[in-house]
Amino acid sequence: MLFSSITFLYYFLPIMLAIYLIVPAILKLILNRFMPPAVSNSWSPAVQNGILLVFSLIFYGWGEPVYLILMVMSIALGYVFGLLIEKFRGGKRSKICLIISVALSLAMLGYFKYTDFFIENINSVTGLEIPLLRIALPIGISFYTFQIISYVADIYRGEAQAQRNIINFGAYVSMFPQLIAGPIVRYTDVAAQLKDRSITAEGLYCGACRFIVGLAKKVLISNRLGLLCSIFRESDEKSVVFYWLYAVAFTLHIYFDFSGYSDMAIGLGKILGFSFPENFNYPYISHSITEFWRRWHISLGSWFRDYVYIPLGGNRVSKLCHVRNILVVWLLTGLWHGAEWNFVCWGLMFAVLLLVEKKLLSGVLSKIPHAFSSVYVMFFVTLSFVIFNADGMAQAISDIGGMFGGGVPLISDETWYYLRSFGVLIAVSIFGCTPIVHKLAEKARKSERLGVIMSAAEPAVMIILLLAATAYLVDGSFNPFLYFRF
Amino acid sequence: MKSKNKPIFGLLAVAAVWGIMSAAAMMKPSDEISESERRRLTQKPEFTAENVISGSFMSQFESYATDQFPMRDSFRRMKSVAVFGVFMEKENNGIYIADGHAAKIEYPLNESSVNSAVSKLSGIYEKYLSSTDAKIYLSIVPDKHYFLAGKHGYPRPNYEKMIDTVRGGMDFAQYIDITDSLSIDAYYKTDPHWRQEKILNAADKIAQSMGIGEYISGDYREITAKEDFYGAYYGQSALPLRSDSIKYLTNDVLENCTVYNAENNITCGIYDTEKLDSRDPYEFFLSGSSPLLVITNQNAPTDRKLTVFRDSFGSSLVPLLAEGYSQITLIDTRYISSAALGEYVDFTDSDDVLFIYSTLLLNNSSTLR
Repeated sequence: MLFSSITFLYYFLPIMLAIYLIVPAILKLILNRFMPPAVSNSWSPAVQNGILLVFSLIFYGWGEPVYLILMVMSIALGYVFGLLIEKFRGGKRSKICLIISVALSLAMLGYFKYTDFFIENINSVTGLEIPLLRIALPIGISFYTFQIISYVADIYRGEAQAQRNIINFGAYVSMFPQLIAGPIVRYTDVAAQLKDRSITAEGLYCGACRFIVGLAKKVLISNRLGLLCSIFRESDEKSVVFYWLYAVAFTLHIYFDFSGYSDMAIGLGKILGFSFPENFNYPYISHSITEFWRRWHISLGSWFRDYVYIPLGGNRVSKLCHVRNILVVWLLTGLWHGAEWNFVCWGLMFAVLLLVEKKLLSGVLSKIPHAFSSVYVMFFVTLSFVIFNADGMAQAISDIGGMFGGGVPLISDETWYYLRSFGVLIAVSIFGCTPIVHKLAEKARKSERLGVIMSAAEPAVMIILLLAATAYLVDGSFNPFLYFRF
Repeated sequence: MKSKNKPIFGLLAVAAVWGIMSAAAMMKPSDEISESERRRLTQKPEFTAENVISGSFMSQFESYATDQFPMRDSFRRMKSVAVFGVFMEKENNGIYIADGHAAKIEYPLNESSVNSAVSKLSGIYEKYLSSTDAKIYLSIVPDKHYFLAGKHGYPRPNYEKMIDTVRGGMDFAQYIDITDSLSIDAYYKTDPHWRQEKILNAADKIAQSMGIGEYISGDYREITAKEDFYGAYYGQSALPLRSDSIKYLTNDVLENCTVYNAENNITCGIYDTEKLDSRDPYEFFLSGSSPLLVITNQNAPTDRKLTVFRDSFGSSLVPLLAEGYSQITLIDTRYISSAALGEYVDFTDSDDVLFIYSTLLLNNSSTLR
């Protein structure tokens, strides 16, 4: 199920929330008659976790009922190995259990995500014609697999305690707000909240606002930019300017899509009483690629740092091993996004840029004017997303060739038309990538005079955005799903 | 106190709107059709184990929830206003507004579609007409985008190439160019079709080219059949556009013509007033889409017979040729297989054959059979 759908917004979510908020309250009233409030209160999160698990499984099964089996299996395996690793902690058997658990998770991910990629490459190298399996990728598998790996690894390291209640564990793994597109929530982030959390009016309101902002980013901006990208792809009259228009549009599209989804996840988390980690922090205002990766898909970057880069030795190794570590991390980051060579190339491009920044440009970027460093970052980020969005390496090369004049005219009538048609949207999107709106809203909120107006204007703006997003969805507009290959 | 009140007020406001919309969505009875979009709406799927396991329940429920959403037309209008008014985009769902007209961006040129249409129409010629003495004519009706695109900076398909391809591929037919006889004013503002009362010049050019000009009186009464005609683009644009009016041309000869509809085995007149209140009032002309119609004109000064292969643009044009023929057979191969035509039509009988198709159909010809 997509957050940006009428089914989710006006059927699933209201029903789920009503049950999630009302059932524990009624239960508390009944239990208060028989036991002290402290005991009866402790039941609330447990009941809510059960409700969350059931609704998360409905949410997941909505798109792919068959893959519910896979989800239940992943939960069961994670749960059992978590307990075993903790039981044998400190001993060899704990390590063996960890290796088996991680291997099983990766095997599952590998089978569903990389089998055809593997077969394709074997075929092209050996000339064999092994038929492709064409396995459909279970939605969100890359996200929940990584969550389970972080869970067992944290227990092994003694940084977390195994969850003994399988319902709580199931609720953690399958939690629908972040199930299909992150952020990658680690068990340690929410362990305490699974046991005890409070739902407040402020949490509900802030969560709802955050969700609506994310929904508006996805539906009003990202989907329209996605439409422009698909128009470009189908066009027979490409030009250099059209290639750049597409590159800019996709760079904005992926940010609004992905960060919009993260906003919706974080907002829903807040509504349900959880606090998820931030995933984006205005990445396009970065002044170096290093800074960009501290602001883009933060939960993935920190996952690779903590579970791959640091275990490999991080930067506390020889220079050669340090380079190796960076290359490995970015090779895996690329492959995590998709089983194609262009994703490998995309990851390695960032590895090279980061190495160049670390070894050659350290100090230089902070001294040059911000305008130059911004242009430098956005040039390579835009280029990287052109590679990222290509359907294979051949298309990536052809797209980049087009951007630099490869066999196409500078501009065409069609390009002019789309520049005019999408100009305002692109300008609004660029503005929306900066923290200006957020800063102005904060300033107004704190102001003595504007504070009162803001407290009335904010809900009004939220309602307008909700209605506008609904209008776009009701019209059956272009609503692609970017995360199918992650 | 202030900081405590703020989230509660905001929360109540947002939750009330959200909750009311949600309750309305769940409780609203299903509509059968959308009048403005002229289509059937998805109904609530049956909740069975088989439907759930196969996933068809979920996918159908998504369409149902979107189709049956309360105040659907108002929300579609809101989106259209946001797209045009806030984001200043030039089109919404391929529809744009220019010179007071709602028009569709017909772009780019779909060469394979045009070639396929040529090959199907040539096949008809080869199978039924090549061995007859009938004179063959071809005419192409430009769509509204033909007149608006260049002037308003919309991407324009290569219409010239489209027309050349059709002419070249159908060189057995004499081409009648009617593009110069038309302008954007010849079309309804909210519909793709042309207005019968504005295409007299085009009809005259065709009649002259086919040698029946002398029989066409051109003496018609112009009658308004419907004041508030909302065409197909009205619903698609979802904007508050002004209605058109449907006018038609008639005289004593046309009023005495009979139209036999082979599909329903019904005989009626050229203009079908019952259709004025139907989903598509343009069907007023010759009762709309029909695979096979025969117009008989007993008062014709000649016994010449005409066969017309046509799309919906032909419905309002052909009555203007009726005075010149004793019989006109209209064939729409979107609704009848061209392979089976021989069973229903005697082509050896025709003196003239006219192929008349719009650029809209040529560029999207998959429906031709």
